[in-house]
Amino acid sequence: MKKTCFILAVIALGASPAAHAKGNYEAGKAKSASCAACHGADGVSTVASFPKLAGQHRDYLYQALKDYRSGKRKNPIMAGQAKNLSDTDMLDLAMYFSKQQGLTLKY
Amino acid sequence: MASCCGQPIISRKSRVGQGRNDNSTRESEGKMKFTTMTLCASALLLLAVPAQAAGDPRAGQLKTSMCAGCHGIAGWRTAYPSVYSVPKLGGQHADYIVAALKAYKSGERSHPSMTAIAGSLSERDMDDLAAYYASSYSGAAN
Repeated sequence: MKKTCFILAVIALGASPAAHAKGNYEAGKAKSASCAACHGADGVSTVASFPKLAGQHRDYLYQALKDYRSGKRKNPIMAGQAKNLSDTDMLDLAMYFSKQQGLTLKY
Repeated sequence: MASCCGQPIISRKSRVGQGRNDNSTRESEGKMKFTTMTLCASALLLLAVPAQAAGDPRAGQLKTSMCAGCHGIAGWRTAYPSVYSVPKLGGQHADYIVAALKAYKSGERSHPSMTAIAGSLSERDMDDLAAYYASSYSGAAN
């Protein structure tokens, strides 16, 4: 019994941060409106200086947003955008844009 | 209709020979200058726009040896200083890729591997690589 409890606890501990870390697609979609002005609808930017986000790796997008917020990565526009985002917002946005059709792996 | 459209042309042609101070002649010279200026401006614009992203995808494809080891492998993650997937480059805007490479080279954007690699690239290399990743060209037929 103790062993079962222990195993369940380990599974719970292991599972909950993972579920949290993936972000919520629908929440991300709802939060993506302000991104569309530059990065295009669904993250397919039509302006060459603004990167396409559609289909980009989720964890790369999350990292980029965190780096903009911390100031490690510098861009005046993105600094302004990212400072208002919580970790959850970033995870949700990264999830949403990573699921759009766009960028591909190219050797 | 024919007389309506044809009349001014015929009358202008006939007036051209009448004297240099004729208003129509000056008007047509003005139009010529304007047309020439417009053509010159268009030609300059045409030259200027491709110059921003004048890379050659075929040349770029031959320069990817330092990129492909990370960006060309599915699921590849950078391990230092943080762990996350390296970005996909296929279909990304060439201008953005060039800007990113320049920012790594100048130190404005920092990542140990990318700083070293971008530092070894010329602007020509950056243009070519960006053109390759932005394009649908994927190399000579294998």
